[in-house]
Amino acid sequence: MTPILELSHLEKSFGNHVILRDINFKVNAKDVISVIGASGSGKSTMLRCINLLEIPSGGEILFHGNPILDRKNDIPDYRTKVGMVFQNFNLFSNMSVLENCMVGQIKVLKRSKEEAKIKAMHFLEKVEMEPFINAKPRQLSGGQKQRVAIARALSMEPELLLFDEPTSALDPLMVGEVLSVMKTLAREGLTMIVVTHEMSFARDVSNYVVYMDDGYIIEEGSPDKLFNNPNQEKTKKFLATILS
Amino acid sequence: MISEMNFFERIIYILQSYGMSYLAGAGTTLAIAIVATIIGCLIGFAAGVVQTIPLNLDRDSKVKVFLIKAVQTFLHMYVELFRGTPMIVQAVFIYYGLAQIWGIQLGMWQAAFLVVSVNTGAYMAESVRGGIISVDPGQMEGAKSIGMNHVQSMMNVILPQAFRNILPQIGNNLIINIKDTSVLSVISIVDLFFVHKSVSGALYTYFESASIVMLIYLTMTVSVSRLLRLFEKYLDGSDNYELANHMDIGNQMNKKRL
Ligand SMILES: Nc1ncnc2c1ncn2[C@@H]1O[C@H](COP(=O)(O)OP(=O)(O)OP(=O)(O)O)[C@@H](O)[C@H]1O
Ligand SMILES: [Mg+2]
Repeated sequence: MTPILELSHLEKSFGNHVILRDINFKVNAKDVISVIGASGSGKSTMLRCINLLEIPSGGEILFHGNPILDRKNDIPDYRTKVGMVFQNFNLFSNMSVLENCMVGQIKVLKRSKEEAKIKAMHFLEKVEMEPFINAKPRQLSGGQKQRVAIARALSMEPELLLFDEPTSALDPLMVGEVLSVMKTLAREGLTMIVVTHEMSFARDVSNYVVYMDDGYIIEEGSPDKLFNNPNQEKTKKFLATILS
Repeated sequence: MISEMNFFERIIYILQSYGMSYLAGAGTTLAIAIVATIIGCLIGFAAGVVQTIPLNLDRDSKVKVFLIKAVQTFLHMYVELFRGTPMIVQAVFIYYGLAQIWGIQLGMWQAAFLVVSVNTGAYMAESVRGGIISVDPGQMEGAKSIGMNHVQSMMNVILPQAFRNILPQIGNNLIINIKDTSVLSVISIVDLFFVHKSVSGALYTYFESASIVMLIYLTMTVSVSRLLRLFEKYLDGSDNYELANHMDIGNQMNKKRL
């Protein structure tokens, strides 16, 4: 079976500052992959390259075997299938919660208003934000915003959802509500790549963990292997600091 | 005889004889200012949008890049030209210049709308560009992340926010235009200021007529700024929101209480 997504020899530099070097990995259906690593190691950049918010400087990204860096590839169409949840939510501040979850369905997927609303309500219920459909983003707490952002991404029914530190901008009290939504999604079989500093999520929810250091993936494997039996000294050191 | 009247009697006399002319002049002023501000905004939005088109040198074709760069350069020159010269000179330049050089004889009304619109457009182009740039880049990324292309992102997400942000500047331009249409009397537009000049010229009542005209200008500008405030409030919506009830949500709510 071809994987949903495959990165091969992916590279990214800004000017002569090399950020990502020779990144390789595969994402199969229902995988929940956690990406961990120190600040500045290139985790966000990798995720943004996958979503083409940054254009990689080298290597290949294959989506169901198709090279998406190809000039002829329809980037917006690809992005409807690979969604993204941001650290700072990026909800549309000129729209209500419900409109945030409908606009992409209507304008991009050309769904009818009725269908879009039913879908939006379905996913807002899933993240327990349906009572707030009339609120504007500025009227919500961080945790609520992030749950709406997840519902917005889900409304497009992507095949793969990318999360870039979805809980890093939240108060400790709100981290739990967002993580529990993500756990539910993982359990239901959504394919996701999650950049996170929440080691409990990486260990207990994901089935594969990638450790990045200075632009390289230097260790990867099952959570058990990575957390209990890391091979690399750097991984051990990182885990020791972050788990202490 | 008017020379024997006091200040208030003169004002009443002027209003009785020329009141309708002042009102008509004020109407002309307001019409030119409003229409030209709207057209100017359209020009400004178009120019601002073109000036913020992202260029991707790797992916975009050379022709597209060249064309966009050419239009951007043209717009840049347009902005500099019309911001950098007085409108009174532009009015004369366009009205007489077009006729003399290209043989295009604009009616004075066409010339009036053209000059004020194009002038407002130059200012608005810069405001819109600034308004677009000042929208949080995360909004564009959010739009892209659900598959919107550049046009969809601009229309649905960026421009509505930019519009709201620059609304005070649009109001400013409208107020400036209400006042500055007075320079159009150089091409014989019978606006409020032109009426003032005619009346005070005929009766030698400069101070009285000016008092009337001041008051009319002030009434127009203050009303406009009040109306715009109300419009801003309307756009911002209410400060609180209603929790959706049973009907909106369907049977889900039975499970949860909020
Ligand atoms: N647009 C950019 N231009 C130049 N350098 C950049 C740009 N974006 C990121 N970088 C650099 O790339 C490196 C990796 O950044 P990145 O945001 O991917 O790290 P990260 O692993 O996500 O870190 P964090 O945990 O702090 O989010 C950093 O050194 C950063 O300064
Ligand atoms: Mg990051």
